[in-house]
Amino acid sequence: MVIPLLVGVMFLTFMLVRIGGLDPVGLLAGPTATAEEFEIITEELGLDQPLWKQFLIYAQNVAQGDLGESWLSNRPVLDDIAARSVVSLELLFWGIGIGTFIGVPIGLRAAFKPNGRFDQSTRILSLLGFSIPTYWLGLVMLFVFFYLLRWAPPGMGRISLMVSPPDFVTGSYLIDSLLSSNWRAAYSSLSHPILPVICLAIVSAAPIIKQTRAIALEVISSDAVRYARACGLKVKTVRQIVFRNSATPVLTFIGTEITGLVGTMSLIEYVFAWGGLGQYGLNAIVRGDFTAVQGYVLVLALFSVLIFLIVDIVVALIEPRVELN
Amino acid sequence: MSKIKAESTSLLNRIVNRIRGVSRLSPTATAGVLVILFFGVLAMFSGGFMTHDPVSSYPDRILEAPSAEHWFGTDGNGMDVFSRVIYGAKFGFGVAIPAVIISVLIGVPVGLIAGYRGGLLDEVLMRFFDGLRVFPSIILALAVVAATGQSLINVVLVLGFLDSPVFARVVRSEVLALRSSIFVESAIAAGNPTWRILFVHLLPNSIQGAMAQTAVRAAWAVRISATLAFLGVGIQAPTPEWGAMIRQGAEFMITGQWWVGIFPGVALIFLVFGLNLFGDGIQDVLDPRRRTEK
Repeated sequence: MVIPLLVGVMFLTFMLVRIGGLDPVGLLAGPTATAEEFEIITEELGLDQPLWKQFLIYAQNVAQGDLGESWLSNRPVLDDIAARSVVSLELLFWGIGIGTFIGVPIGLRAAFKPNGRFDQSTRILSLLGFSIPTYWLGLVMLFVFFYLLRWAPPGMGRISLMVSPPDFVTGSYLIDSLLSSNWRAAYSSLSHPILPVICLAIVSAAPIIKQTRAIALEVISSDAVRYARACGLKVKTVRQIVFRNSATPVLTFIGTEITGLVGTMSLIEYVFAWGGLGQYGLNAIVRGDFTAVQGYVLVLALFSVLIFLIVDIVVALIEPRVELN
Repeated sequence: MSKIKAESTSLLNRIVNRIRGVSRLSPTATAGVLVILFFGVLAMFSGGFMTHDPVSSYPDRILEAPSAEHWFGTDGNGMDVFSRVIYGAKFGFGVAIPAVIISVLIGVPVGLIAGYRGGLLDEVLMRFFDGLRVFPSIILALAVVAATGQSLINVVLVLGFLDSPVFARVVRSEVLALRSSIFVESAIAAGNPTWRILFVHLLPNSIQGAMAQTAVRAAWAVRISATLAFLGVGIQAPTPEWGAMIRQGAEFMITGQWWVGIFPGVALIFLVFGLNLFGDGIQDVLDPRRRTEK
């Protein structure tokens, strides 16, 4: 199931970037290049081969773990992506983690009293969260907390320019600087992610609130909960039952949300010059760096599949009705 | 004469009552409609509201703060931000409405046929749609627009195409439920051709859920098209499009000239929020399960 999906994804992106109007040769050669230089570059990139041959070569390389070299920087795409993944995962983890911790309790509380004042106001707030452009929110936060209040560092990367980054261990500046007990770097790499993480948390909380509420409402109207109520269980106990029964669908929903949030994260990385995978992908797409785009899209697909797998496993662990096989 | 007049007032009364009834049924939808109407009027009669030409530059008035002359200030090119924000409403509707129409025109027939026929076609289509879901919509839209050409029309086409699975899915699930119902079977028995069963018998019975989605999908289209422009893909500055304007304002945000980027963002939020409010309210009214929750 996974392999055909990945091959399909590979094929589609391969065709998409090639059939389109992007002209990497023109970009590389520059405006003063002669026809001969054009030919040489075309040959070097393998673009003189028929499309199906190009794809076969590419697929073979990918199967051997070689994603090719970026046509613009001449560096292996896999190395670039590997170095940036940790950076993005860190951001994604905190953003969604905090978004979940805000979103799930709010959604549950809203569902316990549907159409009450709390429900109505959180509903409006979550709709507002749906409507705010992420990048704009990031810019406004920079304006308020960096320019006006001077509380936050400027949105230029993951660590202050005045602080030398810690030695490379995991790729996460925070973990690395803690490992080498470099407190100055640790402080700087702790203060830089705050604004981007808040942005991501706000944007991810909105759909989680809405979906948790809908799921909990369904659970509340189920026979099991009605029976529990009829038995005269305490309100607190009933709510625990509701929470326990909502956990699985909510978790599954968050899993599917993560895929969508990668797009949001890319925009946040772009605004805060984060230098992660998201920013790398956006730049590659805009600049027409074919190999980088293909590698990025493939890794993205793999990541989604991995997330679904993890969600399945976690669901099997917490849900007695589901068994792993 | 008098009788006709009486009838027409009663018709007017009926309309007013009807609107009152609907707005009581869903205050959120009504609020959404008001916001949408507000921007609709701005977009249609933008000439009447703009104080300056949205693309003419005043070189001696670069980055001026909001004042009586320039209500929202001027941007880095010395253009009037207020007039540009007003004009930007045209792009909001100009992208969203055709994009949603395209999505419906593609998605609904595909959903009808896939749901009715089933089999391999249905399987392949659904797998393809699942495959698309692996990607964040913005990345997908960005890649397709960047690859196929950067024009306003292309943005509309790509968004319309990429969003059609939403409508196909909704219609398909409705058709699946209706496929073996008695009215369809009797239509087949009466010798109706397949197209007639699909579009005359099944379509009216399965379209409601898809229609309830249109406002939310329009909100999506407005948001994504602005995001593309923010990234410098599709519509480009100095076109007075909100996303492109936020892109222009980004660099001034950390130097204190907030008005260049904030105002277009506020306009964008309000239009998207209005569409979302309307969409959410409509879904509430149309979904009987959600209505009986009270």
